[in-house]
Amino acid sequence: METLMRIKDLHTRFHTQDGTVNAVNGISYAMQAGEVLGVVGESGCGKSVHALSILRLIQIPPGEIEAGEIWFAGRDLLKLDDSGIRKVRGREIAMVFQDPMSSLNPVYTVGFQISEALMLHKGMNKNQARERACELLNLVGIPEARKRLDNYPHQFSGGMRQRAMIAMALSCEPKLLIADEPTTALDVTIQAQIIELVIRLQEELGMAVMWITHDLGIVAEMAQNINVMYAGFLIERGNVHEIYHQTRHPYTLGLLGSLPSIDEAPGTRLISIPGLPPDLIGLPQGCPFYARCAFRADHCRLERPELEEAGSSGHNVACWRWREIDAETLRKSAGGAQ
Amino acid sequence: MSAEQKSLVQVRNLKKYFPVSRQLFSTQRRFIKAVDDVSFDVLEGETLGLVGETGCGKTTVARTILQLYRPTSGQVLFDGVDLASLQENDLRKMRSRMQMIFQDPYASLNPRMTVGAIIAAPLDVHTRLDQKEKRDRVQELLKLVGLNPDFVNRYPHEFSGGQRQRIGIARALALNPDLVICDEPISSLDVSIQAQVVNLLEELQNRLGLTYIFVAHDLSMVRHISDRIIVMYLGKVMELADRNEIYLHPLHPYTRALMSAVPIPDPDKARNRKRIILKGDIPSPLNPPQGCNFNTRCPIASGRCFQEDPEYREISPEHWVACHFA
Amino acid sequence: MSTQMPEVEVLTDFAVREHRSLWLDAWRRMKASRTAMLGLVVVVVFLLSAVGAHLFWNYDAKTDLDYSSKLLPPNLVSSTENPNVHIFGTDKLGRDIFTRVIHGGWNSLRVGLVAVGISLIIGCLLGLFSGFFESFEMNRIEKLVLMSGLGLALGLLPAWIASQWYQTLLFGGLGAAAVFVEKKLAQSKLRPVLFAAAGALLGGLSGLLLAPLVGLVCGVVGLLIGLLLNKPVNGKAFSSITMRVMDILLSFPSYLLAIAIVAFLGPGLEKGMIAIGVVGIPVYARLARSAVLSVSQKEYVLASQSVGEGHGRILFKHVLPNILSPIIVQATMGLASAILSAAALGFLGLGAIPPEPEWGAMLGDSYKFLSSGAWWAVLFPGLAIVFSVLGFNLLGDGLRDALDPKMRTK
Repeated sequence: METLMRIKDLHTRFHTQDGTVNAVNGISYAMQAGEVLGVVGESGCGKSVHALSILRLIQIPPGEIEAGEIWFAGRDLLKLDDSGIRKVRGREIAMVFQDPMSSLNPVYTVGFQISEALMLHKGMNKNQARERACELLNLVGIPEARKRLDNYPHQFSGGMRQRAMIAMALSCEPKLLIADEPTTALDVTIQAQIIELVIRLQEELGMAVMWITHDLGIVAEMAQNINVMYAGFLIERGNVHEIYHQTRHPYTLGLLGSLPSIDEAPGTRLISIPGLPPDLIGLPQGCPFYARCAFRADHCRLERPELEEAGSSGHNVACWRWREIDAETLRKSAGGAQ
Repeated sequence: MSAEQKSLVQVRNLKKYFPVSRQLFSTQRRFIKAVDDVSFDVLEGETLGLVGETGCGKTTVARTILQLYRPTSGQVLFDGVDLASLQENDLRKMRSRMQMIFQDPYASLNPRMTVGAIIAAPLDVHTRLDQKEKRDRVQELLKLVGLNPDFVNRYPHEFSGGQRQRIGIARALALNPDLVICDEPISSLDVSIQAQVVNLLEELQNRLGLTYIFVAHDLSMVRHISDRIIVMYLGKVMELADRNEIYLHPLHPYTRALMSAVPIPDPDKARNRKRIILKGDIPSPLNPPQGCNFNTRCPIASGRCFQEDPEYREISPEHWVACHFA
Repeated sequence: MSTQMPEVEVLTDFAVREHRSLWLDAWRRMKASRTAMLGLVVVVVFLLSAVGAHLFWNYDAKTDLDYSSKLLPPNLVSSTENPNVHIFGTDKLGRDIFTRVIHGGWNSLRVGLVAVGISLIIGCLLGLFSGFFESFEMNRIEKLVLMSGLGLALGLLPAWIASQWYQTLLFGGLGAAAVFVEKKLAQSKLRPVLFAAAGALLGGLSGLLLAPLVGLVCGVVGLLIGLLLNKPVNGKAFSSITMRVMDILLSFPSYLLAIAIVAFLGPGLEKGMIAIGVVGIPVYARLARSAVLSVSQKEYVLASQSVGEGHGRILFKHVLPNILSPIIVQATMGLASAILSAAALGFLGLGAIPPEPEWGAMLGDSYKFLSSGAWWAVLFPGLAIVFSVLGFNLLGDGLRDALDPKMRTK
């Protein structure tokens, strides 16, 4: 498979009144064409900021992409000029955001908003664009698409708005779709609809998808690879089986343990991760997860672990003690009396 | 669930209709039937889960039980006393026995009050403790929910969502209530923090013998914490059963769909299961469909479902369902 | 499962944001804004000079007169022709403009504070109660207070006609009675008749003590009042009546209304204060009401209800502190516009009575001499108005940014 995007040592910071927020601290990975990648972590772990950095949608100032390279289709996105990056946005990389209520402009019809993008990026005329917008709404499973073109966003339900957003994102057949927690604001049954839709579209259109979420349950079904982020670092990366069945990082284990399984026995305790993510202003010198880790040793506090190969090629983990880590030990150390 | 367990709360034919403002020149008065004829019992010491999608009326049920909304009709018997018939003053005395934990940890704490004042508010109203006793009680409560007792003089905005939710829990526990209604206490938190809060709620229940009504839209978390589960849809109860029963033998097609919509954190199981994807959205409670409420999205709906409202009946012991095909 | 509470998870103790109160936070943000600080400096200078002049610098406007030095241009050093230094020059009566501008500041400040005080207190109370009782059902005691208050107010009319002031108390009692019989006579069609009769009797009988004609007039007025009081007003009705009255006040051009009020009360600085204050009431009432309505929807208000807190506590501990920010901003801006209005009234000769120093009146006195080249007599009072108004406006803008809750997240 060919490499679609390669990120090298990306650093993004925000300079605020209280100090510098180290949102992304040296992330490197590659994405293949047609791959579905899950990016997982708690809020404030830098997963959204890293995605916005790819499209250079970070507000500067206070933000700043300090260092790194993002190679996409043979060029470094961070070196493009303004008009260059605008051509990438929407056309080659499209993004869907969390809040379907505020992502659509309430004063224009849905059809107008989709066809405007088509006219702008693809040079279609008005009728062609309308035809195509209708096809797109059909594609994302909106019933009676032709009638719905003339509706305003407030006439759509939350799930339908998110579908419309996806239709808009797909309008220029992007090579990469970045979905930033697109189902967090939706009900579970609607979430299931949207996941089903994205799986289907990905298979039909063959684009790569980056799905950002805080819930490891959501991406288990569709992703091939998972990136786990913590405090702006990539701390574990591997294919789904490695991440869910041969988990190496205690943080990933904690995220999995936090989810109840639907077939668990009564009285099972969840393994929660104690405490809160660290303040991104003035990160500790050692492992960022040290304070909350059940496996910590003195060494972890002093030196920050780098990503290293764990077990199989492609499965990388940033932890000094990954060899000693398994779910049983964690369950015991978490004090989960059972 | 033993049959001889005592009921703490008995909800009988509870209805709550919200009037919709009349349109100009229209003589007809319309209502949103947020809760439409709901009956169930909450047993002492149990956790009763209440699941359903946005707009299914689960929050309204919770608030109507506490009489934050006065019911349109029906009874809420708390320890044998009908709350709906109480005057404001008598009701206020009862309030110390039932408390609520709210959904949004950012909106449920007054930003202008210190943590100490927020937690002490129920003590101010219902007890005659002096300043010192009150402070001691607040610090004890902070410790109980896993927060530093020195936080009394801080303001809510200095805390994260999970910590704020703990403050809300401390406020709810201040008067040693019998019943705590948890209204989606975790749905705005990260998964790792959700697990912390759920563990805390379980520990507190064991320690203090609390009865919970746990409202949520996420069936997996509700199943984790509850002893019995009620599934609601458009203001009506669709199914009520024991947690295992509802997992092993879900009878209502809506329950099955909810179950299959739960994300499974295991790639093999997630890929191999057959999902029931419901079509479309929940209809507006202003115009509920004729017949069974669920017929617009139901995969097995047929003739009868569009005319007759299915009876809510006990199919097997302690397993109630409202579906023609159960 | 363990029955012992596990040791406190110490780790939830850390990573809280820095401890500082909301007001301190706002001050910190305000310090960062240059324009806000500029406004603050101007306002402080204005306050110090006005208050200082009032307390420590005696000035008698009535005796200040010196025809020999009238309309002198500003001079900074004393010379043989002009032995006295007038850094702002003198006016048509030879008075030192600098002295009068500084002392005029005290008058402007007084007008601003009193006028804003009137509109702030009355407007906020009206808005607060309207908004609050629109969201919360009134309980009996509150209804009782409202209805007897209404009875007292309406009773003033027959009491004034008959100059029997005890009549207000009678009608106050009638208002209270309406609350008591509300439940019992809820279905009764006789209630309006009963109340009309009671009102007519109360007014008519006490009027008859004076003269038959007075008795007749008072009886008719009392009948109408009885009809009005027959049904206790609920929160929504109270709110909509109050707000419609505010709408009516707002529909007059504000200067015109102020002028009309002054014309009715007679000129003078004190009358001007009242006029400007009354004109400002609807602004605060509307602002407070909309803020109360939005705060009342917040979950923490619901939480306080679920705990069993009463209306008083909810209103003063939860609602009021959370609507203060926009009201503080509005009051600061209001000071600026009150100063401006006072100057306008003074310019028209409806404010301060000469020779009392007042910026608007000084402009009005001197603009005729502009054509003869006496620019200083107009410029300095004008600048004083501009700077004080600008100062309060900048400060208000700064406060708005600093207190805006949307900016509060880091």
